[in-house]
Amino acid sequence: MKLEISVHEQACRGCQMCVDVCPTKVFEFDEEKRLCVVKHEDDCIACLSCAYICPSGAITHTGYHVVKNFYRDLAFCNKMEKFI
Amino acid sequence: MSSVPVNIEWLSDCSGCHIAIIDLHEKLLAVLNEISIQRCPVLTDVKDYPHATLGLISGAIRSEHDRHAAEEMRKSCDVVIAWGSCAVYGGIAGAGNVHTCADIFDSVYVNNKTTITTACPHSDKISNLEASVTPLDNAIDVDLYLPGCPPHSAFVFDALLAILEGRSPRTATGESVCARCKRRMEKTEVDRIKKNSEGVPDREQCLLSQGYLCMGSVTLDRCMAPCPQNGVTCTGCAGATMQVLAEPNRDIRTEIAERMSRLTKIPREAIVREIEKTSKTHYSYTMSSPMIGEKPTFLIQKWTDEERNDYEQDHNY
Ligand code: SF4
Ligand code: SF4
Ligand code: SF4
Ligand code: SF4
Ligand code: SF4
Repeated sequence: MKLEISVHEQACRGCQMCVDVCPTKVFEFDEEKRLCVVKHEDDCIACLSCAYICPSGAITHTGYHVVKNFYRDLAFCNKMEKFI
Repeated sequence: MSSVPVNIEWLSDCSGCHIAIIDLHEKLLAVLNEISIQRCPVLTDVKDYPHATLGLISGAIRSEHDRHAAEEMRKSCDVVIAWGSCAVYGGIAGAGNVHTCADIFDSVYVNNKTTITTACPHSDKISNLEASVTPLDNAIDVDLYLPGCPPHSAFVFDALLAILEGRSPRTATGESVCARCKRRMEKTEVDRIKKNSEGVPDREQCLLSQGYLCMGSVTLDRCMAPCPQNGVTCTGCAGATMQVLAEPNRDIRTEIAERMSRLTKIPREAIVREIEKTSKTHYSYTMSSPMIGEKPTFLIQKWTDEERNDYEQDHNY
């Protein structure tokens, strides 16, 4: 299972918050395009800090070990799949 | 394909969701070819609830009548969609939860500044209010949720078409209004929160960067971001993002403050306090939903009381 990070470019607002919060410096910022770029995917520890801080929800990770979240609104989680 | 029977009902709401169907424009013709609208208070004179494949319900459960109508819809429809933020989260009607029913009757009927009535109508004339406003799924089981105030017609069309063609509709993603907004989010030296009425915002830069309290980053993308694109802050009418809804320790005000304090020089605490002071605005669409209203950190009654005390002190009441 290989961890992959994708950034939805149209959704990226160029705020650089992901660059700032990543503990392992996975992202770099492309000043010209005003977009963050995944540069060191192998260093990612899947803490998901970048995905949570991203104002657009533009960052998604696949292929990581999902740790069960301690705090969850179970009632909502049961409905989540029904949101269209 | 023979036409699919549809029932449409409204509960406590503003009727905007019904009007939004008209925004389908020519696409409406494509839909109308395939459905037959039976009960629909704005269009037809059908008073009962004939059997239907699809039921669209807008509005919150505010009165005994709302609950009854929702139950009748559930009995008559195979698939029920909670349609619009009022049905999904309680919406604007839900803001009534910071007042008592007695206060609401008083403001509407007895001391209404724009009417001459001075007494409440008898309860055989109007339906009794329930003790609090709740979303549709408090009264009945809901099959699909389509938030938005109203949901953009593109999403309505997409959902209707999918159901008519027997596909599952596309489910909401984790993206927020910011994902559709074209503004540049940049770090700035702005050091105080601006009122929405203050100055003219720059056209290109993110409103948070400029000191305006925009809710785009905590709001589900269900609208194509018309407000920030036209220079007005997002007020969160499509409800909170999936991450705020799913996790009790994440909240609208702290998530905005987290981001805004990184973009500007405004301290995180000051932003949190300002949103608490204006909580009736910033939580107006979602406060009656248990997903927001029952968060341990959501203390709207306390915040509004504090705000009133501050106001009264400042104005020597
Ligand atoms: S998940 Fe954590 S480590 Fe991986 S890119 Fe995001 S912030 Fe960096
Ligand atoms: S946090 Fe999101 S919006 Fe900001 S630079 Fe990173 S991907 Fe782009
Ligand atoms: S969701 Fe918005 S547009 Fe729809 S009925 Fe409620 S207030 Fe009106
Ligand atoms: S916070 Fe508001 S103005 Fe800034 S990018 Fe998001 S939606 Fe646009
Ligand atoms: S931008 Fe915000 S306030 Fe405007 S329609 Fe979309 S969700 Fe509602």
